[in-house]
Amino acid sequence: MSETAVGELDLPRGTLVRSRVGVAGALEAALSRDLTGYARIEPDSLLADGDPGVLTFADGVPVAAYCERGAKGDSRGVDALAALAVPGPCTVELYELPAGSLDRVHEQPSFTVPPGAPAEELADDATLAERTRERAPEEATDRGGASALESFLEDEERIAAIQEEARAEAEKRAAEWGLDGELGE
Amino acid sequence: MVEALAVASGKGGVGKTTSTLALGMALADEYDVTVVDADTGMANLCFHTGLADANTTLQDLLLDDADATVEDAVYERFGLSLVPCGTSLSAFREADPTLLREVVAELAADTDVLLLDSAAALGSQSAVLPLVLADRTVVVLQPTIPSLSDGLKVQEYARSYGTETAGVLFNRVRDDEAIDRVAEQAERYFGGPTLATIPESDAARAARRAGEPLLAHAPDSDAAAAYRRAAGRLEIQDGDEGAVADRFRSAVIPESP
Repeated sequence: MSETAVGELDLPRGTLVRSRVGVAGALEAALSRDLTGYARIEPDSLLADGDPGVLTFADGVPVAAYCERGAKGDSRGVDALAALAVPGPCTVELYELPAGSLDRVHEQPSFTVPPGAPAEELADDATLAERTRERAPEEATDRGGASALESFLEDEERIAAIQEEARAEAEKRAAEWGLDGELGE
Repeated sequence: MVEALAVASGKGGVGKTTSTLALGMALADEYDVTVVDADTGMANLCFHTGLADANTTLQDLLLDDADATVEDAVYERFGLSLVPCGTSLSAFREADPTLLREVVAELAADTDVLLLDSAAALGSQSAVLPLVLADRTVVVLQPTIPSLSDGLKVQEYARSYGTETAGVLFNRVRDDEAIDRVAEQAERYFGGPTLATIPESDAARAARRAGEPLLAHAPDSDAAAAYRRAAGRLEIQDGDEGAVADRFRSAVIPESP
């Protein structure tokens, strides 16, 4: 079996089983078909910061994540989820692999993510996150350590960009709505 | 004395209405509190308070030819003065959102704390008006990246209109989350303190099904206790009723397009 290297996450090449826009649908599909394999997530944004990433699954439940972008170059684990949690649509390809073929990859703790975190952070779907956690092996739900949200909050530049964009949008909309007379100093 | 607080989130599903009512009931121990369902496009305060069949609501007050008085739309329940909003789509389409200014001005004249349950999205003039009219905002968040991103955005919108953040509530927090670290990090970016972290709770869902605010339905729950702590940390600022009412009335809000 040939290998596809995504950064330092070496994955066997899988069989493409689904390619659609939207992370929620892909996570749902992976869960319902007990997928062992991986999702290749490609933000559709034309912006330069939309770099692709990979999320692996064991029996439908997310295990490991890698993104070619991050606060410090590429990123893995919850940092990769934070990097992938950008607004806007993504194309997600699901690849299937034979059971057990990701065991070696899944033994690398630096890549692992809490089972419900991709649904919460990438799909903003608390119900799907809960169903995923219920399906996850007990030891997986105990993956502690820093969260994707902490990684996001450490990225001061990214947060400054969100604030700046929101301010510009608020001022533009205020003008459209005739509320510009209400704007503060 | 009066302070108008917009309770906002930037996205749905975070428990904004549950939080508005819980804060309101906790503040009602000390203050005269009025809660307005200012989320006119997705009104749901009525379902949390057993007022789904209310005869007169905010919707009736936002019609150009309104013959209802503000008083007609105020319901005394759970120790609060409640102004629900109806859910009729046609009434929503006919409503003039700018009339909210007059309604808020009149309510402000006769209460200590005015809580405006605000729209989750920021896509229209009517959704943004509560942020324009309020003195400060309380931002309700879930500990996720999408929620924090939207909360930061709502804060910037409010700040654009000179409305600063009074505090942040982290809602639907599960035990396994590193919430204390997150709250500490988030305080660097939000204008107010973390008022409380509210645990994910079946009691909140049960209260909604029963048509009661959480603090009435499950007053001894952990979530209810956390909301009381939040209210205790929220320092209500004195305002002069007349000045606040005048400010609302004088807000230069144009006719809706």
